[in-house]
This record gives sequence, C-alpha cells and structure tokens, in this order.
Amino acid sequence: MSTTLRQVLEYFESHQGAVSLPQMARTLGVERATLQNMIDYWVRKGRLRESGAAACASCGSAAGCPFMVALPRTYELVSGGSSPEISPPACGCRSCR
Amino acid sequence: MSTAQPRVIALAGNPNVGKSTLFNALTGGRQHVGNWPGKTVEKKEGWATFDGQDVLIVDLPGAYSLAAYSVEEIVARDYLLRSRPSAVVAVADAANLERNLYLVCQLIELGAPLILALNMSDMARGRGLKIDVPALSEALGGIPVVEVIGTRGVGLEALRAAILRRDSTPPPLRLTYDPPVEAEIAALQRLIEDDAELARTIPPRWLAIKLLENDPHLAEQLDSRPALRRAADEAVARLTEAFGDDPEIILTDRRYGFIGGVVSRALDRSAGSAETASDRADHIITHRLWGLPIFLLLMWLVFQITANVSAPLIDWVDGVIAGPVTRWAEALLSAAGLGGGWVESLLIDGVIAGVGGVLVFVPLLVLLYITLGLLEDTGYMARAAFIMDRVMRLVGLHGKSFLPLLIGFGCTVPAIYATRTLENERDRKLTGFISTFMSCGARLPVYVLFAGVFFGAQSGSVIFALYLLGIATAIATGLVFKRFVYPSQEPRAFVMELPPYRLPNLRTILAQTRERTRGFIRNATTIILVSSVVVWLLGALPANLDLSRFDVVEPQESLFGSISGAIAPVFAPAGFGNWQAAGSLITGFVAKEVVVSTMSQIYTADATAEEAEAAPPSLLEDAGEIARSFGAALALTAQELVNIVPRTVNLIPGAAMPEANFLGAAPEEEDTAALGLALSGAFTPLSALAFMVFVLLYTPCMTATAAMRHEFGGRWTLAQMIYAALAAWGAAALIYQGGLLLGWGG
Repeated sequence: MSTTLRQVLEYFESHQGAVSLPQMARTLGVERATLQNMIDYWVRKGRLRESGAAACASCGSAAGCPFMVALPRTYELVSGGSSPEISPPACGCRSCR
Repeated sequence: MSTAQPRVIALAGNPNVGKSTLFNALTGGRQHVGNWPGKTVEKKEGWATFDGQDVLIVDLPGAYSLAAYSVEEIVARDYLLRSRPSAVVAVADAANLERNLYLVCQLIELGAPLILALNMSDMARGRGLKIDVPALSEALGGIPVVEVIGTRGVGLEALRAAILRRDSTPPPLRLTYDPPVEAEIAALQRLIEDDAELARTIPPRWLAIKLLENDPHLAEQLDSRPALRRAADEAVARLTEAFGDDPEIILTDRRYGFIGGVVSRALDRSAGSAETASDRADHIITHRLWGLPIFLLLMWLVFQITANVSAPLIDWVDGVIAGPVTRWAEALLSAAGLGGGWVESLLIDGVIAGVGGVLVFVPLLVLLYITLGLLEDTGYMARAAFIMDRVMRLVGLHGKSFLPLLIGFGCTVPAIYATRTLENERDRKLTGFISTFMSCGARLPVYVLFAGVFFGAQSGSVIFALYLLGIATAIATGLVFKRFVYPSQEPRAFVMELPPYRLPNLRTILAQTRERTRGFIRNATTIILVSSVVVWLLGALPANLDLSRFDVVEPQESLFGSISGAIAPVFAPAGFGNWQAAGSLITGFVAKEVVVSTMSQIYTADATAEEAEAAPPSLLEDAGEIARSFGAALALTAQELVNIVPRTVNLIPGAAMPEANFLGAAPEEEDTAALGLALSGAFTPLSALAFMVFVLLYTPCMTATAAMRHEFGGRWTLAQMIYAALAAWGAAALIYQGGLLLGWGG
C-alpha cells in the first residue's frame, strides 16, 4: 500500500531524533519529492513546524548579521500550542547594535 | 494596440519556479505593478503581443495549492474563480516536477483552461531526469505541455503559440475518488447546481470537493445558504466515520496517488541516480560511527589553521604596534610638547596597549571566519547539527539545540537568541544556559596568547581541546539538568533538509569574513577602547585616591591593583592568584577580548618602564623593517599552512611524517614580545592552562548576560552566572591541583 499522509505524521510522532529527508523517504518507501509534498501539506495544516535557515530570525538585523550561520531547514511536530511567539527586533548582539 | 477584447492569460505556479522570469520574458517592459485589492500581496500585470494579438498577462502570487492556507493561495484562487482568464499557464519547475504537480492537479479540478510550462527543463536534464512530454500531456488529460527555459528565452515561441491555440474549455480529465467520496461529491454537486447563481460563480464539482475539505474561506461565503452548509457538514461527518479520518486527508492522499501515477508514466529517472552525489557522501559524513570522528577532525583542522597559521601574522602585527606605531605616537606627543606626562601614558599604556593588544589578533579572527565560512558554504555545518543529534539526545535535548550552539562558536549573543527556533520553553532555557560554554570568537585571542607562549607548536591542539572541553561542559550541564531540574522528556523526530554539498563561493566567504572582522574591529575601537581607558585610569589612581601620586603610583598599589589584589586569593587554588590575572578576569566581563587588552596594559606598562633607552630607528628604517618582517611573516604562514598536512597525518598512531622547513634553518624563536615575556614569568604552563579553562567557562560577557536576561529572565540569568563561575573555578582548580599532584610542576 502506498504511503499516506497519515503515515508521514505518524512517523514524526513515533520516531526520535534527527532524520534526513532521503532517510525518511527510504524508510517510508516513497519518492523524496512526494514526501516533501506531504510534509508541505502538514506544514500548511499547522501540524508540522518548519524552521527556516535564519537562526535568530527574530532579530531585526538578521539579514545582515555576520554571525548568522546558514542552517538547514527542519520540520518537526507542533506540540499543542507551545510554539513560541517571536518577539521583535534588536537582538543586541555586537554586530547588530 | 488593437481594439479587440484582449485575451487574459494567468501565470500560476509554486514559489521559486521561475514564474517571474517567464513573466518578464513574455511581457518585456510593458508591466504594471500594484497590489491585489485589499491585500498586501503584489500584483503584476503586463502586455504582450502574440502574432498580432494583444494579450494581458497576469502574474498570480506563488502558491503550493488552491486551498485557503495562505493569503497568496486565496488571492490566486479568487482571481481564477472571478476573472475566468482565457488560459492559465501553470509554470512548473521541471527538475521538481512531482512537487509542482499538486497545484497543477488542483487547477485541473478547478476546470481551468490549462497549459503546462515546464520551466528549467535544462536543469532537469542535467540531473538525469527525462520527461516524456507527450506522455505527460496525455496523463494530464491532454493539456498542452511546453518545455521552456525562461532565463534564456528558450521555448517561448512554442508557449506563445500554445496560448493562442488554447480555447477556454476546461481539461477533459476528471480526478475520481473512492466511491463513497464520489457519492457525497455528487450529492453536494446536485444541491449546488440547483442554486443557479452559485453554480454560475463557482464550478459545482470543485465547490463540492472544497466543502468536503472543510475549506473555511468558502464555507464563510456560504453563510446565506444554510441548507448547503448543513448538507456539507453531514457529508463530512459520514465520510469521517466511514474512513476513520478527515475527508480532506482522504482527498489529498488521492491526489498524491494520482500524481504518483502521472510521474510514473511521464518521468524517467533512470539516466540520473536516485541517489545524488551528496547522498552518497552523506553515507560516510553523517554515518552513525564515522560522522563524529570526521566532525572532530574538521574542528581540529579549523583550530590548527587558525592558531598555527595565523601565528606569524599575529607576531608581525604585534611587532608593528609595539614598535613603530608606539614610537611614532611617542614622537608625535614629544613634538607637541606632551611627552613624558600622563597624556603619553594614557595613549601608550592605555589606548595603544589596550586596543592594540586586541587588534593584533585580527589575522587570527580572519582565518577563523574563513574556515568556518568554508564549512558553512560547502554545506557541512548543517551536517554537524545532524551528527550531534545523538549527543544532544543524551542530555535530553532536541538535536536542533545544537544549531544555536554552533552559532555560539561565533558569538554567544546570537546563539542565545537563536534558541527561539526551539519548540518548547524547557529546550530554549536549557540550550541558552549551556550555550555560554561554547567558546566564542572573543575568547580565542586569550587562548592564542597563552597557548602560543606556553605550548608553542602544540597550541592548535590545546585550543582544540579547550573547544572540546566547552562542548563537554555543555553536555555535562545538560545531564545535570536532566537528572535534577528537568525530568527526562524524550525528544521527537525532526526532519532535516540537508543542502547539497557544493564548492564554496570564495566571494561570499570573503564578504562574510569582511563583515565579521569589521564587527571585531568596531568592538575594539568602542568597547575595548573605553574599557582600556577606564583600566588605565583605575591603574593610574592610587588606592587612597591621593591625586598627587596620579600616574606615578606602583601598579599593585593603584585602585585597580588593590581591588584586583583583594580578589586574587580566590584564584590561588587554580594557580593564578596574582592581581594581574584577577584584574583581567574582572574586566573580561565587559567583553572577553578585554582580558587580553587589560593584560597587555598591565604587563607592557611594567615592561616599558624597565626598557633600556636605545637610539630609535628612523621613519624610513621603520618602514623598511615593517615590509621585511611582513614578507618573513607571509613565508612562515605559508610554511605553517603546508605543515598542517604532516600534523594531521601524524595523528595516526605510529605515523611520523616530517614537517616542511623550506625557510631553511628553523627561524629564531622571537617571542621577545613584552607581553609574552611577562606572561612566561607570571604563569607556568599548568597555571596558564587553568587560566584558559577559567576564561572558557566563566560568566559570559555583559552583552550575552543582557541577552539571556531578556530571553529567560533575571533569576535564570543569575543562576547561570553563578553556575558558570563555579564551574570555571572548579575546573581550573581541578586542573591545577590535579596537575601538581601528577608532578607536572607549578
């Protein structure tokens, strides 16, 4: 039987630790692009959270911050309402002041 | 422009598929940019003339689907429903066809008069993907499919011709669902068709499907039709019971199934490997066993390069500042009649010794930023977080917690703010707490100074060990918290989109290095300048504030010396219970580089007082010496760079690869710098090591402390400061006392 959206979500619920997209695709027996589609779906539905490349993205100077490291995009389960509200600018780091 | 009613063509597609490039290629300069009514989403329209016919092209916002999840999706959907364009060109990234087909599938369901433009088809071919265009067209119900390369204008004529040929009839394809779903769709469709006004506005089958998907945006528009809404709610309830799942998920799964079928008919991946070169490299680099040693080896190389390769250039800058620059400043002050007094002392012993003492480390920071930039730009840094996941889970932390910690190697402040990317408060607070143990760039000058004086060629390894100790302390602290503060909470899975490996872009790395170095220099000319002046002032003032002895007081009897001397005994068990070390650690709270600038001020003031008078060289002689010593420093730097290879090979037990010495005889040990000499008199290798460990672990700088207070509150910050101070003192004392017990000498 082909992998369903529900199985993708269950994978997140039942596994621990870091997994790369190709690893997860292999485990579920699905094409990487299809898996990406399915993850996108759950992100749009608000069940998965996507963290972008910007690490301290809340900082108003993030775009020009020399200490900003290009970090990978990650996806994880959203646990009931604990997603932090990002408060705005001025991280105060030396380069941003 | 002709007076006939123009054809209106909509461009739809996922974000980043080259839609705007194609829009520009089709319209040229005839564009109008505004906003969609009532939205902040940009609206772009442009005119084009195809075969003598005027065509208005509307660039719809990038959207992944026609659901109502984002404002872009709502705008695109509303436009297609209300304006009914003559044709819709769905722009798809040919290299990511499967991902793009979801929107195409939804456009087919909407009944849009569709043309599929496969953009970037050259890149798809480059990746070994072969798209059978006729088969793709057939699988999608016969819609026209055109291959284009928007950036090069390839395929535009064919696309224009397809647009002109396309009539507004919807695609004949109908995506069918499981029988119970089809039955509910049919029932709702009949109800919608009975409402002539509604059926005229929205395609009935599409609306029925959307109602089963509980589309909130459309449901709102049907408030005045309670019977239809009730029927939809009842249908949703029946399907939920029948399938044991949300009907929207059942419908979406079916679409993915359909897309899978289309792809299997039209896409041939056999020419390209399912595994990319990056995937194959990751089998080794992120391997469960090899990943960690590779990570450690790379970090070792980073510190070999930064510490050893930069050493000759650091010595050169130090020589220039301590020699010609200081002499020129003295000469200028003498010429202005200010020589010999407190003004000269302020400038030479305060500003030049303090700020200059930190600026000598610019070559070191440049090399650190370049090497870290290389790791980032090749895509390795992302893997480091992936590899460290298991280590982080040991301490009950999410693997993602290592990402802020990685940033901490640059600066602790953004690392603390980066904890915001973590999901729960426990992870955020704990990661912020341990992030201060990751050795920031500002602490590196302290290590390089001490390791250079006391550990010579081994300084790179010593510094590497210090970084490892920082990571180990962070892990140990996590374990303490897991045991006593936060009971275990198993971290869940997270999926990482590891970027493909690529050759580093030198221009990007150099630009980033320039910005980071500029930040370091800005710091030296602001915070460190001010603290140098304050330290000088406190060092010039006698402890009893007797102004008649201003600037002539013995350093240890000054206000600074007295305060530092009172605290110094605390550090005696760690082997550095002198007032100079204590004073430097106090001022290090302002910024860690200030430890070096303060020491430079204290010790060089002592040394210059003892210096014998000698005839100063002329300006020309100074300039010649600066150029000559720079050449020598560059040659030594090159030799150090080459020697990274034998030093790395020699890590293998039994290996003894000789180091290169193409400069002839080993250069004379020229560590006659005043600060180095003074330090070798005041510290032993063991107490120097204890001092470096203390600097690594003790209370972070005031900016990082403020950031922590802002993020986690005053009590948490105070707890962290006390914990860090105790950990630093404990570790330094343990090293010193342990070393003495082992007979390593005091």
